[in-house]
Amino acid sequence: MIALVDVNNFYASAEVLFEPSLAGKPLVVLSNNDGCVVARSPEAKALGINMGDPWFQLRADAQRWGLVKRSSNYQLYADLSERVMLLLARHSLGQEVYSIDECFLLPPDGTPAEQVRWARRLKATVARNVGLPVSIGIAGSKTRAKIATEAAKKLPATGGVVHWDQTPEGYWERLMEALPVTEVWGIAGRLAKRLEAMGIATVAQLRNADPVAIRDRFSVVQMRTVLELNGFPAIPLEDEVATKQQILVSRSFPDRIYDPEVVGAAVAEFAQRASRRLRKEGEVAGRLTVFATTSPHRPGPTHHVSAHVRLAVPTHQPGPLAAAARASLVPKLLPGMPYMRAGILCLDLAPEGAVPILPGVIEQPAPIGELIDAVNARFGHRTLALGRSGTHSPAPWATRQADLSPRYTTDWDELRTVS
Amino acid sequence: MRHPVPLTIDDPVWVSAVLVRVPAGFPSPAQDSFDDGRIDLNEVLIRDVTSTYLFRVTGDSMEGIGIYHGDEVLVDRSLTPKHGSVVIAVLDGDFTIKTLHVYPEKVVLHPENPAYPDVEVPSLSTLHIWGVVVYGIRHVYPRKFR
Repeated sequence: MIALVDVNNFYASAEVLFEPSLAGKPLVVLSNNDGCVVARSPEAKALGINMGDPWFQLRADAQRWGLVKRSSNYQLYADLSERVMLLLARHSLGQEVYSIDECFLLPPDGTPAEQVRWARRLKATVARNVGLPVSIGIAGSKTRAKIATEAAKKLPATGGVVHWDQTPEGYWERLMEALPVTEVWGIAGRLAKRLEAMGIATVAQLRNADPVAIRDRFSVVQMRTVLELNGFPAIPLEDEVATKQQILVSRSFPDRIYDPEVVGAAVAEFAQRASRRLRKEGEVAGRLTVFATTSPHRPGPTHHVSAHVRLAVPTHQPGPLAAAARASLVPKLLPGMPYMRAGILCLDLAPEGAVPILPGVIEQPAPIGELIDAVNARFGHRTLALGRSGTHSPAPWATRQADLSPRYTTDWDELRTVS
Repeated sequence: MRHPVPLTIDDPVWVSAVLVRVPAGFPSPAQDSFDDGRIDLNEVLIRDVTSTYLFRVTGDSMEGIGIYHGDEVLVDRSLTPKHGSVVIAVLDGDFTIKTLHVYPEKVVLHPENPAYPDVEVPSLSTLHIWGVVVYGIRHVYPRKFR
């Protein structure tokens, strides 16, 4: 058996944990630049607000509804996620962290009733220790566990825990006949359209499909889905953490940037962020891809540029990374183009020290990154940085986060106050 | 009644050596902790990282037990609040730090400063206790670099 644990309305629940006055109010958390809804409290869901709704469409009704918005506080969410995952790992025989708010667990062997008791205890422990609500589904395969968790979330009578083998006769049959095929883990978009064209529109129809025919028509991935819907575990638990293959730092700009030099300054800052992440992981990058793009949704001229750099010495130092990012991208940009997004992708990652370097042949970059980390650890976040990022006036590419809550758990200067 | 069973050992049995000296005289109190390196305050002060949070206190309502304006407090959500526990509670949607007094007929949030009144609720179940305060951090020497 396998269990799926999912934090309910994760970002919204995280905001309420440190701002209890928001409990019971309609609340939405917005994406980067406060663009679209990425999390909703139950009260916001009840208003008919959907994931992905742009804020500008909700703004007119917000006051009448008493709708509260928050910008995404990724530092807070990442810390709370880590707490939840750590706690769940302690109480299970195996864990695969699937996303920031979901993980698969191996429940203890036992009867369905025993496994449900385990899940209820787990749910209570997460609520008590970390302070977040979770839903848990248990079934014979990951794909079924996913469906069970959805049922646990949507039906309050379940108390947030659903076991596939502990439901009334015919329950799943009726549910799978009612659910559209897009409710199945991994089925969306064009794949769903192709399935529908074959007459497979519901979960039950996909489950009844011939797995071999599905494999021939699509791929082995979709065949596994069919097997899993029939209760055969075909997607194993991946509880070994793979090392990161690449590190991406990219941002949408709140307003279009027309000046190539400013886009260059932006990617130089992104390179410093990437450098910090590399140092944290103890890795060095051997190649960079640097890119900038205009909006795909707006009429007018479009321009998509990317530059590829192979570094002479694999490094995680901010200086060489920022210089390489800027120097490779800026000459390729066209002045006057409305750039709306840029980023840097670090590739060919290797553990620091694993790449042999001939001493004296190529000069080693000075350990500026470690120095910057040490200064910032002592004097506060972003005290010291390279280039434009070192100044404290907001950069033109700074993300718009009008309603950002404090970093309650990750910044000493932003602790929650109590009187 | 169980009978003794003769033991046969066909395969060699490996015994791992235990690298602890058992002193015949007084036990050395340093033995256990000597190899563990410098004291790690996280280890000493945080019983469980998943349930421990930090808050910063404002105001003087808890001065009577030495929690002052500007102090940080460590809060453990996994502990069960008891009579006499200092707790973080939620009152009217806001956080408050007070001492919890539990009586058969009522529950009181008690400020440790006579200038403030007690807050009474009928029972623990009507009170939202967020966590239990386990340590206070007093800045005896002013923090320079912040």
